Amino acid sequence: MRRFVLGQFTEAAACVEAVRKLREQGVPGLDAHSPRPMHGIDDALALPRSKVPIVALTGGVLGALGGYSLQWYLNSKAYPINVGSRPPHGFWTNIPITFESGVLIAVLSIFFGSIFVFFGLPRTYHPLFESERFRTACLDAYWISAETGDENAVPELEKKFREAGAHKVHTVVERI
Amino acid sequence: MKPRALPDTNLPPYSGGRKEMIGAAVAGAAGLLLTLIGAAFSPQRALLAYLIAWVYWLGLAIGAITLVMGHHAAGARWNVSIRRFSETIGATIPLFAVLFIPLLLGARHVWFWVSPHEPVAKEMHELLQHKRPYLNLGFFTLRAVFYFALWTAFGWLLRAWSLRQDDTADPAFTVRARWWSPPGLLLFAITFTFGAFDWLMSLQPTWYSTIFGLYIYIGSFVSSVALLCLVITGVRSSGSPLGTVISVDQQHNAGKLLFAFTVFWAYMAFSQYMLIWAGNLPEELQWIVVRSRGVWRPVGILILVGHFVVPFFLLLSRDLKRSPPALGGIAAWMLVIHYIDLYWVVMPAVEGSSLGLHWTHLTAFVGVGGLAVAAALFLFRAARPVPVGDPFLQDSLRYVQP
Repeated sequence: MRRFVLGQFTEAAACVEAVRKLREQGVPGLDAHSPRPMHGIDDALALPRSKVPIVALTGGVLGALGGYSLQWYLNSKAYPINVGSRPPHGFWTNIPITFESGVLIAVLSIFFGSIFVFFGLPRTYHPLFESERFRTACLDAYWISAETGDENAVPELEKKFREAGAHKVHTVVERI
Repeated sequence: MKPRALPDTNLPPYSGGRKEMIGAAVAGAAGLLLTLIGAAFSPQRALLAYLIAWVYWLGLAIGAITLVMGHHAAGARWNVSIRRFSETIGATIPLFAVLFIPLLLGARHVWFWVSPHEPVAKEMHELLQHKRPYLNLGFFTLRAVFYFALWTAFGWLLRAWSLRQDDTADPAFTVRARWWSPPGLLLFAITFTFGAFDWLMSLQPTWYSTIFGLYIYIGSFVSSVALLCLVITGVRSSGSPLGTVISVDQQHNAGKLLFAFTVFWAYMAFSQYMLIWAGNLPEELQWIVVRSRGVWRPVGILILVGHFVVPFFLLLSRDLKRSPPALGGIAAWMLVIHYIDLYWVVMPAVEGSSLGLHWTHLTAFVGVGGLAVAAALFLFRAARPVPVGDPFLQDSLRYVQP
């Protein structure tokens, strides 16, 4: 059973500073929740570089290759048609479709990659939602959470959260 | 996180660069003098070299004004602390109006249609007669006067308003600049298109391409953004107090602009080439045919690879855009390849079989460029390096990448 220690902040800057302090103390499983972008939080959490650009590049290259080979196959192998003596395989006229399919697949892979891999979409539930007070994370409060599987570690974590400046600290236990 | 301490923006006018300014002016004068001597021996070669250099440096100034207007039109805030560079470069436009006079005096050596001296084919003769109401020296001069009046007004006023705002901190100047910038962008796109038609496309008076003007415009804009990147990275790594007001995030944004407009340039170049290729009509093909045969073919391929493919893949990288030497290097290369691009546009109009390289290409480039750099340094030294009165200056100093 996982446990989530939650700490609430009213100021974004204080929240970012507390995250940095807790991470430097070696608290594992930290995450931050906010109703609006918090500058510097990636740095405070020491998050790795986003993987979205790699997904986009891979999708884009595959889409461009796919778009080009589709045209090459259809126009010069499957149905070669003579239009005003132009070559059946016209490199330059294939470029617009290649570009468009590259963009299309890049965008689709960002969208679906983010939704299903990074956001974990089929799962619409998170144990944190058990907490009524945590709803203010969608309104006007900034939250830090630390995940732990060890029941005995919770009091220590709650103490560290208070020391880091959290106004309210409580713990959510995963039910399922 | 503690709010970042903002750098001091209350900087006095730049006091260095005096030696550079005088050096550039002397080099410019010497270059122009040598080009004049070259023109006495082979007027056509020297004047074409001069035309390339003049369009090249003019394009940098036009691109700088476009960038300022684009930012005003978009209501951008991130760029305020680096805006003075572009305003300064844009205010050098009157110099290019003066430097246009030699081209007018030697027009018959540059543009074939001014006086078709060689015996021409009947069709050619009829076409030139047909185009006479537009392509005649009087209307040509009148148009140039109009373009320069308009460009000078915008380039000079945008800087003047910004300078007056330094003293008064009156946001009304920002409102005014934002009101005038959208129509300014439209007017610049139209007038520079016609400028490119008049000065470059009419070198081959029977050829036409409607996208040609934008091709030159965007090429100039890319090189102007490259110049801005070069200035930003140079100032940031020079360790001067001015470097502290330019953040790595602003440099990153300038790199993104360079990337975006490199792609847009390729889009323009490709649209022109692909439509001509697919249309396969003799009167459109002549321009491409000359430029894709013999010695011009490798030059064209070099432009495709060097102006698009290589910078595109390099500038995809976030780390390269954030590193001053890397971005500065790419920007310097873009400034080189833009000259090659203009060379490839101009020279094949008269040289079918050889590159036509002449020593005046160097002297004209240094001549026009030296004077332009000296003028820009003079204007930069005359005012504060940062628009301190702008209401959004603080926002630009706090800017971080989203």
